[in-house]
Amino acid sequence: MELLTVKDLSFTYPKTDAPALENISFSLKQGGFYLLCGYTGCGKTTLLRLLKPELAPFGALSGSIRYAPEFGDPPAPHEIGMVTQDPNEQIVTDKVWHELAFGLENMGLEQETIRVRTGETASYFGLAEKFGASTEALSGGEKQLLSLAAAVITAPKLLLLDEPTSQLDPITAMNFLDTLKRVNRDFGITVFLAEHRLEEVFSLADTVLAMDNGRLIACDTPSKVCEQLKDSRLFMGFPSAARLWKALDAPAPCPVNVREGKALLQNSVKSKTGDGSLSQPAKVDGSLPPPALSAKGLWFRYTKDGPDVLKDLSLTLRHGEIFSILGANGVGKTTLLQTLSGVRRPYHGKVRLFDKNITDYKRGALYRNGLSLLPQDPKTVFIKDTVRQDLVEILRAGGMKKEEAAEKAAAAADTYGVAPLLDRNPLDLSGGERQKCAIVKLLLTEPRVILLDEPTKGLDAYSKFRLAALLRQLAGEGRAVLCVTHDIEFAALISDACALLFDGVLLAAGEPHAFFTGNTFYTTAAARMASGLVPGAIFVDEIAAAVRT
Amino acid sequence: MNKKLLSYLIVLLGIPAVIVLGFTVFSEVKYIYIALAVAALSLVPFLIRFEKKDHSVTYLLLIAVFTALSVIGRLAFSAVQAFKPVTAVVVIAAMYFGPEAGFLTGSLSALLSNFYFGQGPWTVFQMAAWGLLGFLAGVLAERLKKNLVLLSVYGAFSGVVYSLMMDVWHAMFEDGIFSWGRYVTSVTTSVWFTVMYAVSNVVFLLLLARPIGKKLDRIKTKYGI
Amino acid sequence: MKAFSRLHPLPLFTYFIIMLLFSMFLRNPVIVALSLLGGGAFAATLTDKREKLSDLKFYIPLSLLITVTNPLYSHNGRTPLFFVNGNAFTLEAIEYGVFIAAMIIAVLLWSKSYSKIVTSDKFLYLFGRAAPKTALILSVALRYVPILKRQAEKTRAAQKTLGLYSTGSIADNVVSGAKVYSSLVGWSIENAVETGRHMRSRGWGRGKRTCFSVFRFRASDGVFLGFTLLAAVLLGLSASRGLLAFSFYPTPTPLPVTALPVAAYICFGALAFLPFLIETEENIRWNCLRSKI
Repeated sequence: MELLTVKDLSFTYPKTDAPALENISFSLKQGGFYLLCGYTGCGKTTLLRLLKPELAPFGALSGSIRYAPEFGDPPAPHEIGMVTQDPNEQIVTDKVWHELAFGLENMGLEQETIRVRTGETASYFGLAEKFGASTEALSGGEKQLLSLAAAVITAPKLLLLDEPTSQLDPITAMNFLDTLKRVNRDFGITVFLAEHRLEEVFSLADTVLAMDNGRLIACDTPSKVCEQLKDSRLFMGFPSAARLWKALDAPAPCPVNVREGKALLQNSVKSKTGDGSLSQPAKVDGSLPPPALSAKGLWFRYTKDGPDVLKDLSLTLRHGEIFSILGANGVGKTTLLQTLSGVRRPYHGKVRLFDKNITDYKRGALYRNGLSLLPQDPKTVFIKDTVRQDLVEILRAGGMKKEEAAEKAAAAADTYGVAPLLDRNPLDLSGGERQKCAIVKLLLTEPRVILLDEPTKGLDAYSKFRLAALLRQLAGEGRAVLCVTHDIEFAALISDACALLFDGVLLAAGEPHAFFTGNTFYTTAAARMASGLVPGAIFVDEIAAAVRT
Repeated sequence: MNKKLLSYLIVLLGIPAVIVLGFTVFSEVKYIYIALAVAALSLVPFLIRFEKKDHSVTYLLLIAVFTALSVIGRLAFSAVQAFKPVTAVVVIAAMYFGPEAGFLTGSLSALLSNFYFGQGPWTVFQMAAWGLLGFLAGVLAERLKKNLVLLSVYGAFSGVVYSLMMDVWHAMFEDGIFSWGRYVTSVTTSVWFTVMYAVSNVVFLLLLARPIGKKLDRIKTKYGI
Repeated sequence: MKAFSRLHPLPLFTYFIIMLLFSMFLRNPVIVALSLLGGGAFAATLTDKREKLSDLKFYIPLSLLITVTNPLYSHNGRTPLFFVNGNAFTLEAIEYGVFIAAMIIAVLLWSKSYSKIVTSDKFLYLFGRAAPKTALILSVALRYVPILKRQAEKTRAAQKTLGLYSTGSIADNVVSGAKVYSSLVGWSIENAVETGRHMRSRGWGRGKRTCFSVFRFRASDGVFLGFTLLAAVLLGLSASRGLLAFSFYPTPTPLPVTALPVAAYICFGALAFLPFLIETEENIRWNCLRSKI
């Protein structure tokens, strides 16, 4: 049964020429799990919001969106649930129970009905213990689960989700997506999910819709979509298994998860005569560059009686090196960066930048031509009304004259390709654009050591590759980069060395190949497919190269 | 228009008049009780009117956010005595959203921040004081927006008025009966506070009014409010 | 802070308002003493050692200050102790000072317990029906306070590690504070507008809405409320008939100790110690249960 039919839908925002959506047609069937993929800015959000009348953006619309008659006319709010990426925006009330009840209150249901429904919903979503808690006491993952529960509680026919996991770490994200799948399966609620982190989500969906530049370029089963789009620029964000399939030039059907990818690889390795082992990259010898930032025996805790977050942690970061630190949520990655950057003080141990303790840099000298920290939320980097003002301000704070600062800001923006964004408000930029502008602002302090906190949060595959290239360029200029991240694939891609932060210390520090092949869980999808078949490979390209020789 | 004017008059003149009458006509009654009752009752007509009118969700949420912002201001500066941006934020909310919003932001800021600083009978007094100052700022909104000098004067004025109103409370809370002697002492001992209130209001208004105004204008065009 | 706070918000709110009003307005030494003791005993069950200590550090000097300063304003009373600038420092004024101090501390203690027991969600529940819009504003604002606090801290740290306003001077701190604050405004109003749209998308503003609450009115709530109101009416009657009248000047009047006022004292004492008793009763019961296990 068709739940929703979209026909020849085009949409243009006011004061713009290019349409945000062009000639989109598709239909959603009752009970399906639909995945909408595409890069940031391709029109995913616009399309999703147009399907939810109260959130529909203003602009010129042509074509039609037809809902099944049981939605009501116009469709009632409680028949279409929506979850977006930012929990701050979508959670309305201050208590968990009230957030769950909110939609039911608006429907005018009775006290007793609401009592039962909130109770059973909280139990189903594992929020029972948090029922009386305040919404702000929840973790990011719990907030998203609460938003999902609050959307499902009104028993909607259609659930729209706009990158709901983009602010979550991989494990929490999987947990969320599993719950979503369960909702789809247990209640037959149709799910329409927009995502750009595709590694795991491809195998959850029945149907994948792919968008590029406001057009729908594919709509089919996950495997078929991979086959159709193997030459599109979207493909680099597709699951590793699919990319391996392309690299090996294997016949259809295309694998979409690690299990299928591994099966494919097994066949390929068998059919070849070679032993399939990977030739190790030649070790670069020679003297190591001097350390830029080093920490010795750091101990840190938040309160006097609290647990230690850092326990005798030491690390060395050299000039021109990119060092990544991986670790689960709440393990103290952000705390470590704050301690290294002087925002928090360890109660024991020392941090040295170049040849001095960081406490010996006075009056902000540490951050001039020294180290800079890019925080997790790049929104906090900007405090002015335009990007330009922010860039000029930081130069002026360094003692530069007004005209010179303006010139230098414009020049830097040109160098890093953000010139068109200069006069925009930082809040109006997309995640990737904002990230880039934030890095430019940070570079204006001419840091020789750059600390990055979750730099890929919320970025799509395309922006990630651009960021990786930029970081390599900065390291090439001799700057040292320390990056803490959940993003295993990204860390593997950029790093000279990786380490795992666990229980207050760094474990298993080493070169990425050694690090990731040594790990079973904390490793790339490619390495998981390759394990036991192509030893030592952590990237799809490496597997493909090994198989071909 | 006349009705509106009348309601303004009742609020701005009537309530102080009741307090003054209470002090001079009755000699041995519990002034503090009257004062509390008046302060509490002064909130009621506003709330009734507000609840009856139709408001967009956006308007309600903006008031909520400004209330939260002023509470944050009070929390952020809790280490510095009397130097608080609360009145400034209330005045700014009033300038851009009108007298009603000013009143609500003011009185709800008092109520809400006391969930953190401790509730008590004084909450009612603070609610009335900040509410009325916000209301008045809303009435004068157009002039305050145009003239920075006037805005500073209003900031200083509201600092003094707030301090004087709270002195009434302090003087009476101790004695239960209002005595000019105690009031004068209360006023003189809190001169430092009065000055700090006035100075902080002016400082924060000058620092914040224009930038916040610009941001609100941007939101208005972006979302077509 | 378990047994008593489990009562329904309505009897709780009523109880605290009555205690505050009577403590402030029934200017009778016995009443104030009972209120001080009952309020203190109850507040003691709600606070830990550290908080008790810091409270005492605040209350003791405050009451001394009030006691000592009262004779400075008030020169009534018949027993001059000594003269300052020709003004009498009287015994009665000191006695009255002690009385005021006790009254103020009692009010502070009850206010403190009120803050801990009648939390924001109970307050919202009580007024949410009468003033739904105002309650909504409060609820959203309550949610935004911690969000804004966190965002402000994050922004400040971000600016610091970019080398902005990190010299530590006062001027730098004020200017950076104002800048961070103003950026916070931009961020939060944008958030608010978006939240508003989400509220509409979840059905806000479509006809009549109900008001759900997690509170239940049990029989015990009824009993407690009934007792509170009954005691209040009795006390109010006694007070209005002048049975509890007391004045310090020119000399303290004798305490009314006939049958009716004494009944009123007992009544008020029971009211004042009720929360403490409820709390203690539960503690004892728990201890018994534990020792049986």
